[in-house]
Amino acid sequence: MPETLTTTQAGHGSLPPIDEDPFRWDGDGDGNGPNERGASRKTSLIGLVVMMCASVMTFAALASALVVRRGMGNDWSKMPLPWILWPNTAALLVSSVVLDVARRLLNHGKRMAFNWVWSAGTLLGSCFLAGQIIAWRELNARGYFVAANPSNGFFYIMTWTHAAHAIGGLIALIWVAVMALRFRFGPSRRTFMLVSLVFWHFLDVLWVLLMLLFVYYG
Amino acid sequence: MLFARNHRTIGLQYFFLSLGSVVLGLVLSLLMRFHLVHPESTLPGVGDIPPELYLAFLTMHGTLMVFFVLTLAPQAAFGNLFLTAQLGTEEMAFPILNMLSFWTTALSLAIMVLAFFATGGGPLSGWTAYPPLSAAGGVAGPGQGAGQTLWLIAIAVFCLATLMSAINFITTTIELRAPGMSLMRMPLTCWNWFITAILSLLAFSVLLPSVLLLLADRLAGTSFFLPSGLLIADQALPNQGGSPLLWEHLFWFFGHPEVYIAILPGMAVVSHVIATFSRRPVFGYRAMVYAALSIGFLGLLVWGHHMFISGINPYSAIAFSVLTLIIAVPSSIKTLNWIATAWGGELRLTTSMLFALGFVSLFITGGLSGLFLGQPVLDQYFHDTTFVVAHFHIIMGVAAIFGIFAATFYWFPLMFGRMLNERLGKLHFYLTFIGAYAIFLPMHFTGFAGNPRRYADLTSFQFLAPLLPIHVWMTDAAYLTAAVQVLFLVNLFWSMKRGAPAVRNPWQATTLEWAQGPVGVVYRGPCDYGVTGTAKDYLMQHEAEPCPKP
Repeated sequence: MPETLTTTQAGHGSLPPIDEDPFRWDGDGDGNGPNERGASRKTSLIGLVVMMCASVMTFAALASALVVRRGMGNDWSKMPLPWILWPNTAALLVSSVVLDVARRLLNHGKRMAFNWVWSAGTLLGSCFLAGQIIAWRELNARGYFVAANPSNGFFYIMTWTHAAHAIGGLIALIWVAVMALRFRFGPSRRTFMLVSLVFWHFLDVLWVLLMLLFVYYG
Repeated sequence: MLFARNHRTIGLQYFFLSLGSVVLGLVLSLLMRFHLVHPESTLPGVGDIPPELYLAFLTMHGTLMVFFVLTLAPQAAFGNLFLTAQLGTEEMAFPILNMLSFWTTALSLAIMVLAFFATGGGPLSGWTAYPPLSAAGGVAGPGQGAGQTLWLIAIAVFCLATLMSAINFITTTIELRAPGMSLMRMPLTCWNWFITAILSLLAFSVLLPSVLLLLADRLAGTSFFLPSGLLIADQALPNQGGSPLLWEHLFWFFGHPEVYIAILPGMAVVSHVIATFSRRPVFGYRAMVYAALSIGFLGLLVWGHHMFISGINPYSAIAFSVLTLIIAVPSSIKTLNWIATAWGGELRLTTSMLFALGFVSLFITGGLSGLFLGQPVLDQYFHDTTFVVAHFHIIMGVAAIFGIFAATFYWFPLMFGRMLNERLGKLHFYLTFIGAYAIFLPMHFTGFAGNPRRYADLTSFQFLAPLLPIHVWMTDAAYLTAAVQVLFLVNLFWSMKRGAPAVRNPWQATTLEWAQGPVGVVYRGPCDYGVTGTAKDYLMQHEAEPCPKP
C-alpha cells in the first residue's frame, strides 16, 4: 500500500506550517534558524549583485534613451550643472571611504570606533541626498524646469532614479548605525552591514558615471 | 497565512491570483467577440458598447492576460511551488522579499482594476500603450486621462514586483541547490525558470524607466515621446522633438523577451511531462538546455521585428529579421526533441500528457505563422491584421495556457494532496483543443483577407462584409471554448476538496519534488526513465543505487 499524501504532513510537497508573524526575524542572519536559509553571506551578496544588474539595466535604458533623444531632435540645449553637484559628489565618495574604514575597524574588533565612524559615513551619505534636493530646488529657481528641455528632463529623471536608490541604501546604512549604537550588532548582522556597504559603493560608481554623462554629453 | 513567507503558500497565492485574472480576461474577450458580431446590441448590465469601451475591454484583456496570467502563472506560481523542491532545498533565498513581491503584484492588480473604472474611461491604448496618444493625456480622448495614468502606475508597480521575484529565483538557483545537484543535473523546469528569471530581470528593469518616461510626458509635460507639431482634437500640443519610435524601441526591448518569459517555463514542463508519460529520458537533455539558453539570448536581440512598419531603417529591419528567423533553429531543436522523447515510448495518455502534446501541436502551428511575420516584406501586409492576433494567441496565449494546464494536472497531487478527475480533464482537453483551433485558425484567414486589428465594428466596411460569417463562427467557437473552461474550474475546486487522495509519486517521476522526506545528496540527472534491472523502471535523482529486483 503506497503511502498517501495528507495535507498536514510535513516534508516535501505538503502544506507548510503557518507563519504567525511574517515580519519576524527568526534566524541569526547567518543562515541558522527557521526560514532564513538565504541570509547566509554568500547568498545575500549574490542577491545583491543580481539586483545591481537590474539597476545597471535601468540606467543603461535611460542613458540610451538620452543618446537617441538627443540625436533625434534639434531642440537639445545642455543645461548648466548646479555647482552643488561637485561638493555632493565629494560627500558621496568620502562617505563610501569612511564607511569602508568602519568595516575595516570592525574586522579588527574595534566596535566603539566602528560605531562612530559608520555613523559619520551615514551622516555624509545623508548630506549627499540633502545636497541633491538643494540642486533640484536651485535648478527650478533658475527656470530649468523638467519640461523645459529634454536635457533637463533626463537630468531630473536620472537623478531621481539615483536618489530612489540612495534612499534605499541610506535606510540600510541608518539601520546598521542604529543597531550598532544600541549594541545590538552581533556577528550575525554583519552580512547586512556588508551588503549595504557594497550597495553604497555601487551608488558611487553609478553617480560618477552619471556625472560624466551630464558633464560631457547631456 | 496571508503574509506567509514560505514559497508554497506564495506559489498558491500567485496561482489563485492568476486564476482570477484569467477568468476576468476571458470574460472580456467574450464581450469583445459578442460585440464584433452584434455591434448594435446592448449588453445587460453594460448597456451600449461604444468603440472606446470596446478598446478598453481589449486593453484590459491583453494586460491581464500578458502580465497577470502569462507572466505570473508559469513562473511565479509554479516556480515558487516547485523550484526549491526540485533543487532539493527547502526555502527560497529571500523569503521576505518573496512575500513582498507577491503583495506588490496584488497591489498592481488592484491599481489596474481601478484604472478600468477611472473617470474619463478605462485605458484603451492596448497592452503596448503606444504614444503619442498614450502620452498626450486627457486631450487625446476618452480613456487617455486618469485611466491611462493608473495603467502606467500599475505596470511600474508590477515591474518592481517581478524584479524582486527574479532576484529570488536567480539567487536560489545559483546558490541553494542540494549537494550533487550540478547545473546539468537540474530538471529542465529549473533551467527554464532560471533563464526566465534572467530575462525578467533584464526586460522589466528596462520597462520600468520607460514607463517613468511616459508618465513624465503625461504628468510633467516633458517631450520624450511626443513629436513636434502634434495636433490632437484640433488642439496643437506644445511638445517638441520627441518620438513615439523611442517608446517602441524601449517597450519592445521588454516586450519581446516577455513572449519567452511566458512560454519558456511551459516548454520545460512539457519536456518533463512527455518524458514521464513516455517512460523515456528527455531526448537530448543538453541540447534542450542550450536551445533554451539560445532562445533566451536571441529573444533579447529581436525586438525590432515588432517595428517593421513603424518606419525603422530597412537595413536594421533585415538584421532583426535574420535574427528572428534564427530563433526557428533552437525552437525546432526543442520540437524535434519532444517528438523524439515520445517516439517509441510507452505512452500514458493522462490529461497532463494530452495537454503537453497539445502544446507541441500549438507550438508548431504558431511557430510557422511566426516565420511569415518575421519577414519584413510579408509583415508589411500582415502587421495590422488579425493574422498577427491569431499568431500570438496560438503561440503565446493558448500554447502557454496549455503548458499551465499540463503543469496543473501534473503537479496537482503535490499542490492539494489529491488528484484531479482524469475523465473530466480529458473531456476538457479535447474540447479546449478543438475549440482553440476553431477560434484561431480562421482568424489567420481573416488576416489574409486584410481584416484590421482593433476595429470595434466590422459592419461599416464593405470589404469586410464577406468575412462576417467567419467572425460568427469564431465567436460561437469562443463561447463553446469558454464554457468548457467551467469544466476545468469545477474539476479544480471539486478535486481540491473531494478528489481521490494522491499517492506519494503518482506519476512515477524522477525529480525531487516527488521525493519522500528531505533530500540528501543528488546522484543523477532528471531523466532516468526506462531503467532496466531494477524493481521499477525509473530512478529518482537522489537514489544512489538501483533497487534490486524482488
